[in-house]
Amino acid sequence: MVAGFRGVAAVFVAGCVTGLVMEPAPVGATEPLTPASGDAAQRLATRIDQILAKDWEERGILPTEVADDAEFLRRVYLDLIGRAPKASETRAFLSDRSPKKRAQLVEHLLQLPGHAAYFAEMTRWQWLPQTVNNFQLTGFGVQFERWLETQYRANTPADQVIRRILTLRLTANNQNPMFRFVLADPNEPDGPNIAGFYQAHENRPENLGAAVSRLFLGVKLECAQCHDHPFAPYTRDQFWQFAAFFADLNPLPALRPNFVGPIPPQAERNTLVIPNTDKKVIATFFDGSKPDWSLDRTPREELAEWLVNPQNPYFAVNMANRLWAHFFGIGLVDPVDEPGENNPPSHPELLAELGQAFAAHGFDNRFLIRAIILTKAYQLSSQWTHPGQADPRRFARMNLKSLTPAQLFDSLVAATGFREPAYLRNQRSFGFVQPNNPRSQFLARFANNERVTQTNTTILQALMLMNGQFIGDQTDLSKSEILAAVADMPGWTTQQRVTNLFLTALARPPRPEELEKFSSYVDRGGAKGDSKQALADVFWVLLNSPEFLFNH
Amino acid sequence: MLRGNLDRRYLLRVGAVSTAMSLSGWLGKLALAAEAKTIQPKRSCILLWMNGGPSTIDLFDLKPGHENGGPFTAIEAAPGLKISEHLPKLAKHGRHLAVLRGMSTREGDHARGTYLMRTGQLPGFAGIQYPSLGALFAKELGDPKSELPNFISIAPQRFFSQEAFGPGFLGPLYAPLIVGDNQFNNPPNANYEQLDAILKVQDLHRPATIDDATHAARLDLLRQVQDDFAATRPGAMAKSHAAAYDRAIRLMQSDAGQVFDLSEEKASTRDKYGRNLFGQGCLLARRLVECQVPFVEVTLGNWDTHANNFEQVKTLAGILDAAWAALMDDLQDRGLLATTTIVWMGEFGRTPKINPAKGRDHYPNAWSTVIAGGGLRGGQAVGKTSADGTTVEERPISTVDFLATVCCALGIDFEKQNMSNVGRPIRIVEKNAQPVTEVLA
Repeated sequence: MVAGFRGVAAVFVAGCVTGLVMEPAPVGATEPLTPASGDAAQRLATRIDQILAKDWEERGILPTEVADDAEFLRRVYLDLIGRAPKASETRAFLSDRSPKKRAQLVEHLLQLPGHAAYFAEMTRWQWLPQTVNNFQLTGFGVQFERWLETQYRANTPADQVIRRILTLRLTANNQNPMFRFVLADPNEPDGPNIAGFYQAHENRPENLGAAVSRLFLGVKLECAQCHDHPFAPYTRDQFWQFAAFFADLNPLPALRPNFVGPIPPQAERNTLVIPNTDKKVIATFFDGSKPDWSLDRTPREELAEWLVNPQNPYFAVNMANRLWAHFFGIGLVDPVDEPGENNPPSHPELLAELGQAFAAHGFDNRFLIRAIILTKAYQLSSQWTHPGQADPRRFARMNLKSLTPAQLFDSLVAATGFREPAYLRNQRSFGFVQPNNPRSQFLARFANNERVTQTNTTILQALMLMNGQFIGDQTDLSKSEILAAVADMPGWTTQQRVTNLFLTALARPPRPEELEKFSSYVDRGGAKGDSKQALADVFWVLLNSPEFLFNH
Repeated sequence: MLRGNLDRRYLLRVGAVSTAMSLSGWLGKLALAAEAKTIQPKRSCILLWMNGGPSTIDLFDLKPGHENGGPFTAIEAAPGLKISEHLPKLAKHGRHLAVLRGMSTREGDHARGTYLMRTGQLPGFAGIQYPSLGALFAKELGDPKSELPNFISIAPQRFFSQEAFGPGFLGPLYAPLIVGDNQFNNPPNANYEQLDAILKVQDLHRPATIDDATHAARLDLLRQVQDDFAATRPGAMAKSHAAAYDRAIRLMQSDAGQVFDLSEEKASTRDKYGRNLFGQGCLLARRLVECQVPFVEVTLGNWDTHANNFEQVKTLAGILDAAWAALMDDLQDRGLLATTTIVWMGEFGRTPKINPAKGRDHYPNAWSTVIAGGGLRGGQAVGKTSADGTTVEERPISTVDFLATVCCALGIDFEKQNMSNVGRPIRIVEKNAQPVTEVLA
């Protein structure tokens, strides 16, 4: 019913713009993407859909409809390259008649430099959030992000990326009590950039142990830093035992002068004293096992060996769950780093299989990305058709996700044709708002760390979108290039002008009732009897709409 | 002159009768509250938030003569109540100050301490997003239809914990309006133009090229677009979008926005508060309370004095003293002190032991907070720390005890429940809280 209705809309719109920019479009929702059968990613996708469908059936949930091409297109652009598509990209995709165009689009986007840049930025925000707002640490975050970008561009497997971080050879300078510095071994390629990970954690074993456990294993040990964990079975000793894998960053005590007997293989490199106690702990994994300490492997090398091992029950599952959360807005375990009785996974079987498949395919990020995007679940619309779809953790419709500040600004750039000079783009916020830099202002105003599926719009954000200088200029006929072009294009009907504003702002043609409403508003000249100003009003409304502001 | 201001004073005269009746004791007051509801004056709370952890041992619980005491001496603020020599103007209001010297809290990390003191909870506890006290109090004290937001945050420094400043599970309706966000400095010699630019609501006015009729037409279309979107995606995010726009539009269209224009104040008044962001923020807080905003917070940062503590505390105390005393003066002159509760706190205190860098480090074990004004019996200190300042010897006060005390001073039932994001009702303050009844009026 809905699909048929959309089909009419698409044909109608295609008729409006034929001969100008858009070939007659195929009808509404094309086939969800289906690459060659036998493809491993497709097999995993099918398996994911089976598990979700079984759960829906057991709960009596009816999933919503498949997203039409435009909804799918905008979502995939935002999720893979961090911005909404431009009007030209939208037209090209909507008029593409290939039944495999969804799969082809994914391959195209994965190859773009923007994909690596966006994933590197997103990963930095997740892994090193302290470098986003804390200006003292921002530089380290930027360095680390550059290195991540090269890893994403080469599609380096996740285990290798993390092994590289953990085993970086470095020298710690811990003479300054206020801040410690590390120097990467000069023989380490990209060493200074990777060292940003250590610097951002102030080179402290407890900070690094907590971060590595939370980010790479999905286990938040921090609570146990001061006391035994209230919910999970982690003790304070376990926290410090894990932190002790980074003990080489602490000043090493000299051997006592009267020391007798063989020096242990690690000397004191794997040993920490719990602060404010006399208790000394030796590096130990959570499961209680310990490495066979030897002279030729450092504690961090031992940690990496255990951590990224396909047999490690935490690593693969955690990394897969984090990718899932990126695409669905919510993890199969959520929060993603608080496993335990109080936070069971929504689909335990699915979580386990995702982890297994990720490990079995050599921790290939793109394999998992393809599989997730190939699922019917990812390609469901965000529009509800049944109250049973309310629970976001059943994935019976796509969750609305808020845009990150950078996604929002990059989408505004794509929609308005704003020519952002490279120096403004590169002038990151650095914890301060840069005057006269709209990107920096948007990054600051829209910064938040609420969950992407539960983000609140603030009064100040609404005021900025309604009244701020950037949107003001971009919806001003004398300043905005795209708006002026749409308003002045000779020979276009009002409907064509309105349709093009929809394509550029929302990456879809208007529905018939929208086209009717907005065209008649423009034809009567809006509030002032001025049809060009009325077009500016339409553009302003679309850029202020929730459909623009969210990934839907 | 502000319209709200006149209404406010008028209301106060009417309200004065019920306030007078209730001075006998807080229990009686709560009992009376039900009857008096219709004419009871609005209650407000001003939080003076000391970001970084203030050295309360140098401000409100001095240890002169002890090696931990440092160089500062104490002056009398009220019979039996001594505070730092560097708070002389505030000391004149000693009879309104209730100093809680038995604070003993659990978190010595900036982020976790900030979250704890501002929500009463530990972060990440069972996946619940706890609201900031500003959101909790605004919900109880505010009018949801008011033109001005019920929770206004002035110059906050949110880098330690953004969540601690948010509405949590109460949702966007209770999110703070922030003015002067991302300010890290308290320039000692800023000029008023610079400060006014910082303390304005950003983007409050639409571009000059957009007239009333165009603006109205745009909003009409926008509402239809919002409704269409929410019809098929009926979740909290779409609602939040609509709610934020509604409130923003209300603020734009009312005269209330004028309250942020500090240039309406006399130069002598402005100077009295201090020519710095915190001082002018406190002046703005007074104007907002005059317009019946129920919760306003003003941040003074740079209290993280790991090195060179005494010099820094002396400077900060000067800024704090002028602004806080001026605020008390003005509220008193306007008859608003009895209905406005001022809360002074940071995320923790600082170590009594002075470190080799002449600094003090983080110390949640024994420290002080201050509550002043409405609903309180001032002129006293409750609780006592040991001679060296390291432990609480009398009347220990936990975070929840403290928050419950503030609730009582404001006439809020702290055991009232709100529905949380995990579908479980949660009290404003945990139920085992013991308010410090000694300081309640």
